[in-house]
Formats: sequence, structure tokens, C-alpha cells
Amino acid sequence: MTEINETYKEKISFNKRLIFLYVAFGILGVAFYYQIFNLQISNYSEYEIAAENNKNEEISVQPLRGIIFDRNGEILVNNIPTFDLITKPFFIDNPDDFLLKLSSFLEIDEEDKKVFLSEFEKAKTLNKELTLKQSISDEDKAKFLVRSHMFENAYVGKRYLRNYLYPKIFSHSIGYVGKPNEDELDEIYEKRSLNKKINFTYTNQLIIGKTGLEFTYEDILTGEFGNNLREVDARGRTLNEKISSEPKVGNNLYTSLDLNSHKAAHKAFNNRKGAVVAIDIKDGSIVTLFSSPTFPTNQLANGILQKDFDELLLSEEKPFFNRALKGRYPPASSIKPAIAMYGIEEGLIDWDFSIFDEGFFTLPEDGRIYRDWKEGGHGNTNLFKAITQSSNTYFFDLAYRSDINKLNKHLSSLGFGGKACIDCFEEDKVFVPEPSWKMNKHNFGWFKGDTVNMGVGQGYLVSTPIQLAKYAYIMANKGKFSDLSLKKDLVKSEKSIEFNKFSNDDWFKLHESMVNVIEGNTGTARRLRERKNYIVAAKTGTAELVSGDNREQYSETRLDDSLRDHALIIAFGPMPNPRYAVSVVVENGESGGSVAGPVAISVLNSLIQE
Amino acid sequence: MRYLDFKKFSIYYDPYLIISITLLSILGLFFLYSASDGNASVLIKQSIFVFFGIILMIVLSQPDPQIYYSYSGFFLLISIILVFIAIFFGPEINGANRWISFGFVTLQPSELCKIFLPIFIASYLYGVKLPINLKNTLLTIFLIFIVFLIVSSQPDLGTAIVILLSGLYVLFLAGLSWTFIGSALAIFVISLPFLWNNFLEPFQRQRIATLFNPDLDPFGSAWNITQSKIAIGSGGIFGKGFGEGTQSHLNFLPETETDFIFAVIAEEFGLVGLTILIGLYFFIFVRCFYLSINARDRFCRLVIGGLSLVFISTLFINIGMVIGLLPVVGMPLPLISQGGSSLISFYIAFGIIISMASHKKLVPR
Repeated sequence: MTEINETYKEKISFNKRLIFLYVAFGILGVAFYYQIFNLQISNYSEYEIAAENNKNEEISVQPLRGIIFDRNGEILVNNIPTFDLITKPFFIDNPDDFLLKLSSFLEIDEEDKKVFLSEFEKAKTLNKELTLKQSISDEDKAKFLVRSHMFENAYVGKRYLRNYLYPKIFSHSIGYVGKPNEDELDEIYEKRSLNKKINFTYTNQLIIGKTGLEFTYEDILTGEFGNNLREVDARGRTLNEKISSEPKVGNNLYTSLDLNSHKAAHKAFNNRKGAVVAIDIKDGSIVTLFSSPTFPTNQLANGILQKDFDELLLSEEKPFFNRALKGRYPPASSIKPAIAMYGIEEGLIDWDFSIFDEGFFTLPEDGRIYRDWKEGGHGNTNLFKAITQSSNTYFFDLAYRSDINKLNKHLSSLGFGGKACIDCFEEDKVFVPEPSWKMNKHNFGWFKGDTVNMGVGQGYLVSTPIQLAKYAYIMANKGKFSDLSLKKDLVKSEKSIEFNKFSNDDWFKLHESMVNVIEGNTGTARRLRERKNYIVAAKTGTAELVSGDNREQYSETRLDDSLRDHALIIAFGPMPNPRYAVSVVVENGESGGSVAGPVAISVLNSLIQE
Repeated sequence: MRYLDFKKFSIYYDPYLIISITLLSILGLFFLYSASDGNASVLIKQSIFVFFGIILMIVLSQPDPQIYYSYSGFFLLISIILVFIAIFFGPEINGANRWISFGFVTLQPSELCKIFLPIFIASYLYGVKLPINLKNTLLTIFLIFIVFLIVSSQPDLGTAIVILLSGLYVLFLAGLSWTFIGSALAIFVISLPFLWNNFLEPFQRQRIATLFNPDLDPFGSAWNITQSKIAIGSGGIFGKGFGEGTQSHLNFLPETETDFIFAVIAEEFGLVGLTILIGLYFFIFVRCFYLSINARDRFCRLVIGGLSLVFISTLFINIGMVIGLLPVVGMPLPLISQGGSSLISFYIAFGIIISMASHKKLVPR
């Protein structure tokens, strides 16, 4: 009996507990059902939109980039169509089989295959297109098209390549385009308020300006992005693609650059290191901006082998370095007209003042000797002779008597130590050496001798070719100037240098003395006379990299190419009404007159005798 | 009468369970076909499992429950040995050793533990007087934890949790004292922070954290839940239709054939489809409830009750996870998700349930 009682008690307990658990699950079940009801009925529209947004894809369509012209309307950069083989990984079950099938009639690089396989899974998951092979040949295109019925998961797509018509001539001035990196891409998304979910029709298409004018005028050249809305069904097939906004083609860029002068510069430099900058005196626009050696822009924009790129990057010639905007060179004797202007303005000299040049200047403080380039000196020397024959002694003496702070102010007003160009890419403004700069940098006070060295453009004073060109332009235009620029017809205000004593007559005499540098029988660049049929004013310079105390030492340094002096010239013409100003630096070229001079004349010839 | 008498031998069966389970299995194949993007090989493999699984269920219905009572310890031992074989000799997949490979098929032996652990406990507690004393309680709990720890070391937290529950259900139904339940719960709550810090992997903590705040990690572990909710919600009342679920087919939804198949069904068949599906499950629960209340003895009562609750728990954990109310843990939708091990284990469970429901004790006239 107790056993039956026990069984009965157990059964009742079991039933109660089972009911308890079932009721607990029942309550949970109601809660779950309520949640499902909430999702599917109460918030249906919200989730429906979310699902639609998931599957529909916004595709940004990049507009065609603007064309770049030279100042005469010659096309320098345009776009040419190319064809890529594009795949749709969503419809590819096995990428290896797919590649095998394609390889049976198309040659595909191992590198391309590797990239394809590594990106495949991601593209498949996101249902994005993936470029397998860029710029396929017409033959490959035809081979694929006849078999296209076998490939629902691939197609041939058209794309535009940036085409540099003169890839080795405008490398530094125009620059090149390229694929944006992650940071640049984020910036584009933000600036153009593009949806991050977008897919640029296919990968690799988006290009942006990386350097030069392509970078500076990126906004003008790019245009407006278009938008396509792609609707897909549950199998990933495109149902339709609606254009929600058309892309707007980028604006063309008209530059002040002159094609012929660049060709002349390229030829004259013949891959030697250096730079030439030429300026149209009418409005301060840059007609020539050339740095040598150059690099091939088409390859950089449209694909370069890593090996070739590394070779360029590591080359001792430093082809990527824009010497015209960033090369730091002592102006050497080409600074002398500027020192002369200062001397006249400050009343330290006039055109009649003369010294006896015995071949050196002695610093009164410590008896240190500063040598002229000509042994024995130039004898009795006035300013005209000092400029024409480039007497160092005369300018050592003048600089010695100058106030360094006032002199610096004067050099700054001529553009030294300041940015010369308003739309150049990464210009180095360098500096004018102040006594305080020397104290900070070298922890040494300013010596009188430092000022003396500046009188011949040596010592701490450095400048870039574009600054030298601006300086030549200001002198050619008698103190009036505008900021330099590369875009044609840019509205700029005209500025001028204020003088008290330096008069129009002084300008005339200064020009005359500089004309005599070439035209006079004793001028330092007289050998240039035969190379042209108009009159040019100039000042040569030879920037010493190593100063030797005596002739033997000097001869030794000449044996090492990289220690040889830089050859410089600034020039403007045709005189008496100059139209162009030019500066040339030839690294390790030694003699301003005979090495830099011919380059300057070639460029001027191409501009003046067109 | 629960058996057909063919003079020589009898077949034991329960028509309600067999019909509803077969119906659910066939429906499952239909859903799986869509969830696997119409993959025929997945469907054929699963169909073979369903076919032999149902036969296995009927075969297991035939022995008298006495057999299961006598051999319960043996079955549990075999299951645990198989788990150890999987840990030490099985193939490593995604860093886990849960499987034993038989060449043409790989099976997960831990699924068997959730059947044979509750049966063994039921047999152990069969003769124990009410209320169960402390010694028996602790011995049982000790056993449950041993099996739990073995399985979670594979690692397989989902199955381990179900095994833990399966044992506790039987212990509870057998008459675990309320005093013990109360104090155990109190200790559990107090030690919760300790457990959180020491027993959960960082990714598991992350999953729980994102459950309460999905914005915490919209592209990480919450991504799956967000996409799952979008799939369910966008299904609406009638769904998008068979094979038309964009969330399911465009790879927004993860694990569509296995853990998230419920979301696929919700997207393609809507609330109507879900209600029919849930209705079928509900029918099975009600039938199991009836059978356990009317079972012939305490052992059968405990086994039917315990196994049916394992089935219910699996279902609730899966759905709870897919609709975003429970943290993400690997758990199949019973009888529907792709995967032979889960399927076979439930056929075994129902085979045993039917055996216990259809064999009546012969009362001497």
C-alpha cells in the first residue's frame, strides 16, 4: 500500500513540475511570437527598406577627366578608351576553374591571377565586380567576345586611360594621375558626399591627380560624379540599372605652358641635371617649367612595373625631384644686379663710383682674403664693368658696406625666400639667411664676412630656379610684377617694388649693363651672341660647391663630377622691350655663360622666333 | 491499442508523433532546398538522413522500455567514449574537435549525450524516494557537470548547454527539492560575475554584450543578428516566396542552411509560414506532454518529459538567437537545419519516446 501511495505522490509531483516547465516555455513562446510579430508586422516597412537598401547598390560613375591644353591650344593630356576584362565573382562557383577556362584562349599574367584570387571571396560576398585584366588587346577582346555566351560571369568593359601626349616633357609641371590610397579615398567620399557603399562601376577605375597641375586643379578637372542605381533579384542578377544622375564631364584646363619651349628645353638639357623656368613678362604666367631628368608619366598613371618604379625612385639622378621648384642653389653672380640695386637705393654707390680691383678683397676686421675669379683682378672697376665682367671684388666691397637686415629686406622684395608661384605643386620657398637664422641653425653669430659672401650670391644664400626666374622677370619689367602662375588668364593683381632713389634711369643703365654681358666684347656670356638674332640681357653665375683657397685645390675638385660648380644664368629679352624672362641652372655644369647660357637661349629662341 | 498485431509479431507506434515528425522533416527538406540556393547534393544528403532517420525511429520504437532501462549506463558510456574519440582522433574543423569521420559522413557524437544522459539519470532516479536526498542530488549533478565539461572542451558550447539542461530537467522532474533549487539559484546569481570573467571566451562575452546593445559592434558579431532581423522583418505576412529571399540568397544572412534557416523561412514564407511551422512544433509538444503524463511508470515519465524538453529547448534557443533575443550560439533548428547528427539524435529520441508511450505494462488479469 505504501508503494502505491509513494507512486501516486511521485506522479502528482511529476505532473506539477512538468506543467510548470511547459507553462514557462509557453510564456517564453508567447514572448518569442510577439517579437516575430513585431519584426514582421509592426516594423515591416522599416525592415523592408533595410532589405531593399541591402540588395540595391548605388554605383558612382566617374566623369571623364578634363583635357589639358598648352597656351596655344595644343592638347597636352587627353583620355583614350581602353578595354578591361571584368568578372562577376557572385556567379563564379570555382575561381580556379574559371581562370583555367579563360586561360585556354586568353593569356593572363600570374600577377593578375594572384590579385583576382586574393580579392575573389570578398567581391563574391559583396556581389561586386572585379577586374581581371586591364587594357586587353583588340585580339584578346575579339577572342573573348566570340566566346562571351560561355561567360555569363564576365564581360568586356570600357574605361578611359589618362594619356600624356608628351610624357617625358611635362613630367614635373603637369604631373600625373593615379589610384587613390585609403586616406585619399576617404577624402573623396567626404568631399563629394558619396555614399560609402558605392561601387565605382568596376574596381581600379577611380583616378585622382597625384602631382603637378593634375593635383592642383583636381577639382576643375574631375567634374561631377554620376549615380546609377542597380537593382538585383534574389539570385544576384541585375533587374535594371537606373541612372539617377548623369556624370558631368570635367572642365578642360588651359595652361600658360608652351609646348615648343618645353621641347627646346628637353632637347637642350639632354638629360643633364638641372631646371629651366621661363616667364611671360606680360602677366607673370609661367611658359616653361622644366626639370631634368624627367620620368615617364603614362607609365606612372596607367601602371608601371615595380622594378621600373624602384629604379626611378632609387636613381642617383633623382628624376622625381622637381628641381625647378625645389632645387636649392646658391644664386652666385646672378645676384649681383640685385646687390647693385640695393647699393644705388641706399646711396652706397652710383654708376660713377669705382674701385681698384686687384683680384681680392681683404676683410678689415681680420685680414681674411676674398678672391675674385680673375687672377690679378679687373683693375679700375665701376658698376657697369663690375656687372658685365662680373667683378667679385667690387661686390665684396659693396656688400661689406651694407646693412644685412636692410639687404635681406631688399632681397625678399625681389622674391627670394618667398613662394613665387600660386598654383605650383609643392614649391620650396627656401629662405633669406637672417643673423637670427644663423644663430639658431649653426649656434654662431653673424660675421661681417657672411654679408661679404652674400654680395656674390655665395655663403648661406640659396634660391630655387623659379625664384631666380621671378627675380629676372621683376628686373625685366622694371620692378612691376604679378605672382607667377600656370593656369592661363588667371586674374592677378599687379605689384611693384617701391624705390626712393633707384630711378628709371638706373633701370635703363642696369639693363644696358646686363645686355653687355652678352653683347659686349668683355661680357662673361659673349659667346652666346651668335646663337640668336635679337638682343638679350643676362647675368651669369657659377655656384661654387667647394671653395678652394688656391688654384691647385680647385683643379682637384673639378675631377669629381658631383662637386663641380653649378652653372647659372638669368636672362630676358628681346631688348629693349623684353617679353620673356628665363632662369637656367645646370647642376655641375661649371660655367654659367657657356653651359647654362645656351639652354636659356634655346628656350628664348623657341619663344621669340616662333 | 498502440500496436498492430500481425499474429506473429507486433509493430509499436504513435500515429500522431510519426505523422507530425515526418511532415516536419519533409517541410524541412523543402526549406533547406531554398536555403542552400537549390543545392541538389545538400538536399539528397539530407533526404537520405531523413529517410533512414525515420526508419531508425520506428525501429527504436519496438524494444520494450525495460531494455533502455537496463542498458542506459552502457549507452551513456558508449556516447562519452565516442566524444573522447572525436576529441583525440577526430578531424579538426574551425579549431574544434567535435566530429568523427566515417568517410562518406561525419557525425557529432556529443549529440548522443543529450539523449542518453537524461535516460541514464532517469534510470538512476527510478527507485529513489521523494524528496531526493542530498547525496543522490549531488551525485547526479556531478555526473551532469562531468559530461558538460567534456563536451564544452571540444569546444561546443551550444550542445554542452543542451546536455546540461537535459540532465537538470530529469533531475527537476524526478523531484529535486525546492530548498536545493532555491539555494543553487542563489549561489549561481552570486557567482555570475566570476563565471562571466573566467569561463566565457572573449568572443562569447562580446556576443552577449551586443545582444543588449547592437550598436556596440554593427559590423562584427551584431552584423549577423542585424541581418537576421532584416530578413525576418522584411518577410512580412506572406513572405517573399520560395527562393525569393534577397537577404538569404545575396549572402547577407550567415549560415542559412544551419543555424539561421529560421530566418530564411521567415523571409520567404512570412508570418503565415512561421505560424504553420510553429503550429507543427506545438502539436508535437502537446502530444509529448500527454504521453509523459500518461506514461506507464516513473522511468518512462521522466524519459519522455526530459527528451521532449531537450527538443523544446533546442528549438527555443535557436529561434531566440535568430530573432535577436538570445546570444549567438551554435544551435540547429530541430528536424530542419542541415546536418545529420542533430537530425539522427532527434529521431533516436522520438524512437525511444514512442517505445515508452506505446508499450503498456501488462497488468495480470
